[in-house]
Amino acid sequence: MNCQRAREVFPELLDARTAATAHLDARTHLAGCPDCQRDFATLSRTADALGALPDPAPSPRLRRNFYALLEEEKNSAASVRATVERSRRTSVWRWILAPLAGAALVAGGFFAGQRVAAPAAGYSPALAQTDAASRRELEDLRRKVDTMGQLVGYSLLQQQQRPTNDRLRGVLTSALRADENPDDRVINELISALALDPSVNVRLRALDGLFPHADREVVRAGVLASLPREENPIVQVSMIDFLATARDAEARPALEKLVLNEGADASVRTAARRALAQL
Amino acid sequence: MIAALPEIPVAPVPAVRNVGSRPAAVVNAPAQRSDHALMLAVRDGELDALGELFERHHGRLFGYLAKLTGDRSAAEDITQIVFQRMLKYRHTYRDDGSFTAWMYHLARRCATDHYRKANAAPQATDPADLHDHADEAPHAGHRAAARDDHALLHTALARLDRDDREVLLLARFQELSFAEISGILECSVGAAKVRAHRALRQLRDLYFRLQQEAAD
Repeated sequence: MNCQRAREVFPELLDARTAATAHLDARTHLAGCPDCQRDFATLSRTADALGALPDPAPSPRLRRNFYALLEEEKNSAASVRATVERSRRTSVWRWILAPLAGAALVAGGFFAGQRVAAPAAGYSPALAQTDAASRRELEDLRRKVDTMGQLVGYSLLQQQQRPTNDRLRGVLTSALRADENPDDRVINELISALALDPSVNVRLRALDGLFPHADREVVRAGVLASLPREENPIVQVSMIDFLATARDAEARPALEKLVLNEGADASVRTAARRALAQL
Repeated sequence: MIAALPEIPVAPVPAVRNVGSRPAAVVNAPAQRSDHALMLAVRDGELDALGELFERHHGRLFGYLAKLTGDRSAAEDITQIVFQRMLKYRHTYRDDGSFTAWMYHLARRCATDHYRKANAAPQATDPADLHDHADEAPHAGHRAAARDDHALLHTALARLDRDDREVLLLARFQELSFAEISGILECSVGAAKVRAHRALRQLRDLYFRLQQEAAD
């Protein structure tokens, strides 16, 4: 071993943990090399001096501060643990209580509703007065709504240029209103629709709307007046059935005319014959 | 600012080691838990175990930092911060870790932060703090003037580069293996040995030069 290789392992020879276990070659070289001996000796003295340096002691403040810090951290950790535990418990109770609270709320609402809406056997006079006033107000509102519906239907009937669907809807609305609250204006509009509307469907629906009012002379007269102008066999047959059902004797001349009209549809003539037989 | 610490790559070591200069009676106590076991307990929430680790290591750690920085007050502050970080980052302590290596790794980071702060904004020492120091000996420079051998060595140490001083102190004082030192310094084992050897030679040169100057 040369000096360079030997000096590379001097730190390990100077370390008590490694000195005794190896580096036999370096020891042999060191024993016979004065230069390396001087180098090793100075390094050894430096290492010894370094090892002999006294370890300074920290002040009591360090220990005091550390334990204060530790205590603070423990409190913080305990607080976090408590929060987590509380949260966990709350979470468990939430799972248990939430459905119960929901059910209680529904039951409470049900009973409260029953209590408020239940028919009161022993109403107080004030409550009865309030109830009567409410009823009056309700009837008034219902009338207004009816009137509004009639107006809408009337408006629709007035606008022949509007699409068939709108007119049909208007006729249906008028028929419904006429059924509930017969009004001359609505009846007139239904008769007008039967006589003048270009749509077969609208005319048929108008006739249907007039059926409940077949006992009224104005209605029968309107249907009878429309019959000669009607060209559609379906509507014609429906009108004939209407007049037969209404037992309108004044329809007889018009029906006879149809029976004799060879240009009329066979079903129309048959229906007219049957109606005449009924009359 | 204290930066977040990543997991520290340190070599696994046997569970029981590094008992240092504690009394033999304490060392041989059968119920004695190793540093590693204590730190694992701290990690798992037994914070009181850190008190035992503090008692075992704070003196040695303070001594290392005092030699490294040459400033007792700073060494105390850094020691305090090291144990504070142990608490803060206890969850990063690894099952196969070495407590001592981890502690010196933290110490190295804290010392680096200290130097960075000191360079950025030098601050005066609070005179009130000086009364707490147990050792009221004069500064190393004053003792060098009095031809005190220890003071000469302190001066020589202070003249080393910080990296050389660091590796020398770790290798000579802290009873760490070069494998552990290489983990702390984040270099290879061979590089750690070379750096320690070179640092010792430089210290020797400085030390004998100072001795010569003092003799003249």
